[in-house]
Amino acid sequence: MKKKKPIKKKIFFPPMSFSYEGSQATKTGTWRYLTPAYLNKLAPCNESCPAGEDVEAAMVLAGQENYLGAWEKITEENPLPRVCGRVCFHPCEGACNRKEFDEATSINPLERFVGDLAFQSSKRFFPPKEKKREKIAIVGSGPAGLSCAYHLASMGYGVTLFEAQSKLGGVLRYGIPSYRLPKDILDQEIDNILSLGVEAKTGARVGKEVKWAELKTFAAIFVAAGAWKSLPLKVPGEDAKGVMSGLEFLQRVNSGQAVDPGQRVAIIGGGNTAMDAARSALRLGAKPLIIYRRTREEMPAWEEEVSETGEENIEFILLSSPVKIVTENGKVKGVECIKNTLGPAGKDGRREPRPVEGSNFTLAVDAVISAIGETPDFSFLPQELRRSTGSLPVDETGATGVKGVFAGGDIITQPRTVSYAIGSGKKAAMAIDATLQGKDAIEALRSARWGGKGSLSMARYRKGGTDGTVPEVIPFSGLNTAYFKRQARKPKEKLPVSRRTSGFSEVTLGLSPASALYEAKRCFNCGVCNLCHNCFIYCPDLAISARPDKQGYDINYDYCKGCCICVEECPRGAISVEVKK
Amino acid sequence: MRKLMTGNSAVSHGVVLSRAQVISAYPITPQTTIVEELSEMCADGRLPAKFIRVESEHSAMACVAAASAAGARVFTATSSHGLAYMHEMLHWVSGTRLPVVMVNANRAIGAPWSIWCDQGDSLSQRDTGWLQLYCQSAQEALDTVIQAYRIAEEILLPVMVLVDGFFLSHTSEPVDMPAQEAVDRFLPPFRPRYKLTPDEPHTFNIMADTSLFISFRHEAQAAMEAAKKLAARVDRDFKAQFGRGYGLVEKFRCTDAEVVLLTMGTAAGTAREVIDQYRRQGKKVGLCRLRLFRPFPAEELIKTLGGLKKVAVLDRDNSLGAGGIVVRS
Repeated sequence: MKKKKPIKKKIFFPPMSFSYEGSQATKTGTWRYLTPAYLNKLAPCNESCPAGEDVEAAMVLAGQENYLGAWEKITEENPLPRVCGRVCFHPCEGACNRKEFDEATSINPLERFVGDLAFQSSKRFFPPKEKKREKIAIVGSGPAGLSCAYHLASMGYGVTLFEAQSKLGGVLRYGIPSYRLPKDILDQEIDNILSLGVEAKTGARVGKEVKWAELKTFAAIFVAAGAWKSLPLKVPGEDAKGVMSGLEFLQRVNSGQAVDPGQRVAIIGGGNTAMDAARSALRLGAKPLIIYRRTREEMPAWEEEVSETGEENIEFILLSSPVKIVTENGKVKGVECIKNTLGPAGKDGRREPRPVEGSNFTLAVDAVISAIGETPDFSFLPQELRRSTGSLPVDETGATGVKGVFAGGDIITQPRTVSYAIGSGKKAAMAIDATLQGKDAIEALRSARWGGKGSLSMARYRKGGTDGTVPEVIPFSGLNTAYFKRQARKPKEKLPVSRRTSGFSEVTLGLSPASALYEAKRCFNCGVCNLCHNCFIYCPDLAISARPDKQGYDINYDYCKGCCICVEECPRGAISVEVKK
Repeated sequence: MRKLMTGNSAVSHGVVLSRAQVISAYPITPQTTIVEELSEMCADGRLPAKFIRVESEHSAMACVAAASAAGARVFTATSSHGLAYMHEMLHWVSGTRLPVVMVNANRAIGAPWSIWCDQGDSLSQRDTGWLQLYCQSAQEALDTVIQAYRIAEEILLPVMVLVDGFFLSHTSEPVDMPAQEAVDRFLPPFRPRYKLTPDEPHTFNIMADTSLFISFRHEAQAAMEAAKKLAARVDRDFKAQFGRGYGLVEKFRCTDAEVVLLTMGTAAGTAREVIDQYRRQGKKVGLCRLRLFRPFPAEELIKTLGGLKKVAVLDRDNSLGAGGIVVRS
């Protein structure tokens, strides 16, 4: 029998291969051995801010034109953005990763812009809802005292500021001339702090109007009396009429007293006090000259201050030291100097001046302002804290040797800058709070730390260090700069020299809104997600999606196969790779 | 309506009349003016299509492939090195059975550099699974583009329409422009049975094991075979509607011819003149123009050329080491 051929049944066959289900049926995430994850890194600006500002977060917000949000971020850490935006020496910009690319971002002028805008928009501090029983005494109302008062009051503590002078502000009011920091701006910033319920006693010098024993009734004391004693020149004629210290001169000028320094004024020293004194004397109609024992390079004053002084045609007599104040009838007539050469570098790395014998010369002057350095006055302190010279020793929490007494600002050993003072005030506030709450202050401060330069974050302190930021600082090499174009930094605008010297108007002008936004957008936002969308665009598995709150992205690990293109293409290094075990 | 236009412009108008929806291309001489004109028409709204600029021909083909998979009627054009650059994507498109229509202006492939006509560029892509239709005139180019969409979308295979670089792409001829309504009647909108859509997710081109792979190839081969009949039918339909038809193989004075010249593209136009001259001398010569090269219409060629004393083949190409590709076929 013939075998019957089987009938071939025509079955459905599609023209091309395709799946019955969508590609989501294939969980490509199972292939993964590298796992990308969003992990905010620390930006170098944050690490270098002595006041512990979250510069990074503020810059992200400013870049989104949310300046008031940026102000809130800044003032969470530092109550004086308008002050710092004018007088800070901005180490943040020195650490800025962008300077490796073109020029550092203008963080400092932006801080000023944000602060001024917030004030104009009537942004003010809110007193905390819950008050604490404990009251804290703060001696001195300079940047350290104000910062400590602000943070303690924000935490609900009762705060009393004791200020020896008739007005609050310390060095901000009596040291820094108003062409750098207008007094009305300082007043507004202080008023804002006082609105938190901070009690201020002015004209209350501890050791005179107020006894130390009275302070002991407080739960803690923060000593931030500054360094107001000028170092003597140690030359003959120093006590003549017409010789005064730089701080004394600035204090009188800044408190509005009539000061007539005379025609020709010699300012001795190369620090900020010397520059401020010289420029103030110029504005009072004098012809100042600065005498400094080394060269411009070794001057301890900020570069910007030195160059502005130069722009104002103030004469520098360099490599010269005064040896004698020439007097006539007990009044200054001139200053005799000796020429120096520079020897090898000394302990601080600066080259030491060496007098050249027989090189003496005399300058005819009407007054001499000595500004060769300041030192704290310890006379008001109790015996156990009183020292003859130097600075008040404190531990890493700002605590002195006496229980319940903390210190900060220029009275302790740290760079004498406004931002360091603000940082030390904040540190003391944290340490006082931790101590009063029975916590380990050292541990509490460690959790608030930002990087390795001693910067402390109040936000981290409040959260116990769990703000999701990793402590590593993201270096320039951690960025993908292919996504950035070179953009010149907006130069600071300044009053023309001709209009500067006739009065005490502010020299540096603020940023225009356009320049502010330009600079805010120049910021790389190192290490943090600023919602640029690159990861979303590049993910080949469509595994990345924006969060519903639009505050970041989520990775769907069912489909992320770990190619880590997102990590590579994130311009700011905000995504890290974890290796699957 | 008769208009004087270059072959490239005729192609562009054919694309417009076919209502292409997505165009993606990278410029290359002598094709450039096709997509240049199309991009202008996209920009000023004469053609409501999306024109996607790309950085290479490979991407251009990938773009139109994706758009076609999503259900759009697509177009691209290229030449020579550009076509070679697309090579890999040509396989993907035919394997996915995407009805992509592409015009290639034939140009020699270097080295050495040349911009002149040589059909080697498209003939070297003969095994990629695309239909190939070689045109002789600007009119035929326009008509063939419209026909190509009908063929491609019915059989689900991509079609390559070939115009000789410069001889056809850049020379002007009077072209009869069909009315849009007539073209719309001839070419219905593209309604694919399978397409990529988020509403009904599928993955196209998933991995197939060897037996399935062969099956898909069988399907494609069958479709290619069927395409011969389809192309002939579409051409007849076109002739019925527009009065112009070209056939798969065009015969000229072949009935009593003893010697026939076989060629493709514009060379046939010149050959016609020569054959007329010979005929006047009493020589029994004819011309056979191969219009459809892929699928290869072997049966029809055998019918036409079988029993002839001599067939001369004029190849505008050369497969090195084997000789002319048409003659070898």
